[in-house]
Amino acid sequence: MKLAKFQSMFQASVRAGSGEADKPLLKKLRSSPHGANPETLLAVYQSGYRLRLADFVSQDHPGLRAILGDEAFETLVDDYIDQRPSRDFNARFFTTGLPDFMRDSPTWRDDARPVSMALFERAMVDAFDAPDKTPLAVQALAEFSPDDWPRLAFDFDPSLALLELAAGTTASYGAAINEEPPPEKVDAPATGDEIEYAAVWRVDHESAYRQLEPDEYVALCEARAGHAFGDICQMAAFQQSGDIAPERLAQCLSSWFEEGLIIGLRVCSDDQSSKTPSSA
Amino acid sequence: MEKPAPLGYGLGLRPVYYDEILSSRPPIDWFEIISENYMLAGGRPLAMLDRIRADYPVVMHGVSMSLASTDPLNMDYLRQLKALAERVQPAWISDHVAWTGVHGVTLHDLLPIPYTRESLAHIVERIQRVQDFLKRRLVVENASTYISFLDSEMSEHEFVREMAERADCLLLLDVNNVFVSSFNHGFDPVAFIDGVPAERVVQFHMAGHTDNETHRVDTHDQPVCDEVWALYEHARRRCGDVSAMIERDDNFPPLSELLDEMQHMRDIDARISNERALSAA
Repeated sequence: MKLAKFQSMFQASVRAGSGEADKPLLKKLRSSPHGANPETLLAVYQSGYRLRLADFVSQDHPGLRAILGDEAFETLVDDYIDQRPSRDFNARFFTTGLPDFMRDSPTWRDDARPVSMALFERAMVDAFDAPDKTPLAVQALAEFSPDDWPRLAFDFDPSLALLELAAGTTASYGAAINEEPPPEKVDAPATGDEIEYAAVWRVDHESAYRQLEPDEYVALCEARAGHAFGDICQMAAFQQSGDIAPERLAQCLSSWFEEGLIIGLRVCSDDQSSKTPSSA
Repeated sequence: MEKPAPLGYGLGLRPVYYDEILSSRPPIDWFEIISENYMLAGGRPLAMLDRIRADYPVVMHGVSMSLASTDPLNMDYLRQLKALAERVQPAWISDHVAWTGVHGVTLHDLLPIPYTRESLAHIVERIQRVQDFLKRRLVVENASTYISFLDSEMSEHEFVREMAERADCLLLLDVNNVFVSSFNHGFDPVAFIDGVPAERVVQFHMAGHTDNETHRVDTHDQPVCDEVWALYEHARRRCGDVSAMIERDDNFPPLSELLDEMQHMRDIDARISNERALSAA
């Protein structure tokens, strides 16, 4: 048998697990000197394959396992392994497609909490090995004249992810990683209702997260999109909070510096600062 | 045969030991990294590697080159590997006599091949292309296998010898893999070690495995067993001064236990040296 044909046959057998389809391959194998039949020896590769990939998912998704329970989690993982075989040489990225798989799956797409947890945990994993950048201290603002502040724009750490999640996602995740009982079940939110916002990023080599108030979430999204401080203050989301918008935004900005989220500051040109924020 | 200078006694670098290595600077001569674990954009793995590399020699050991696959060589993988090598400046780069998948799929395992003339020509050509791309000799390791093929036209050690000589590559002799495969397929492990070209061996791997009575599985989650220590002594007598290391990938013990295993390698080597000195006197 040619090498290419053997490899196709072997791979199909490993992916499918032991069964009738193994027979042509088993005919090509020698017997073991210690009594293991070829089926048993082939099963070392078949079972190892599933165990290994399932372990990758378990490592990256403790929160998902906690909210689904072991049985449903293992069903999901089996489906994922069957339908989305790994195509990246680096095992680290096998789990990257899980949230999208769930959103595409008739079984999972309407179940907001698990999908939301998968998205959140993917962001945590991605933050861990995102590119390295050096955060700026708040003192960096002193290099800019107060007259320039309205036109100040910010560059954010590449590990930062801003997420709109089903309510209770971050609490469930916190309970799972601390091996506590899950919080009381939160019903799947209706569209636009019962949601929470979170930021995920990396601090001191570890992934971190915190919930965001809706106004801070909008401000962060706009700031990351390149909009200037003054423009964000004019946004509807901030206007609704009364006449303290600049103070509230300054408070947010201070947190972003403290948390190491900001890696760059620049003064936008007049053209750039006058563009309308996307969610205003 | 020009070979890299021996590095002494090493350990597979694993995240669970980062902090202890950096704080206590244990008596380890060099580290081997799993290349793919550091083929990342940034973060803790690369930061730890940079700190450890500042004080220790490092070699890069990959599991994804898929040298025996009939898929095209993954040039994206090789470019990332080369970039990592430029950062790490490893003493050498190694991978396996194995394949990991075809049709663009990877099974994340080191899969066996029939030892045929077709397989040999295929892997030799790919090793040569990899060496041309990396601009260095590749170090290639014998893998553990659990199945063997009626189609094979030569023994594993004949395959490895022919591969190394035709591709002009170097060898990583995994002593535990020799033992595991010899048990599973019923060949003589001493004959294997005697059959590979000693002058091309630059590294030994030592590890533990799982004994399932009818077959043994290369799990790297146990201490090195007595039979493998005996084979190590034979390999050392045959291959001489070769960099040797302990691989542990699961069921991680305190670092001190791995240091004890490294000391056991040193003790065996000292005994061999003393015997040679006495017989020469």
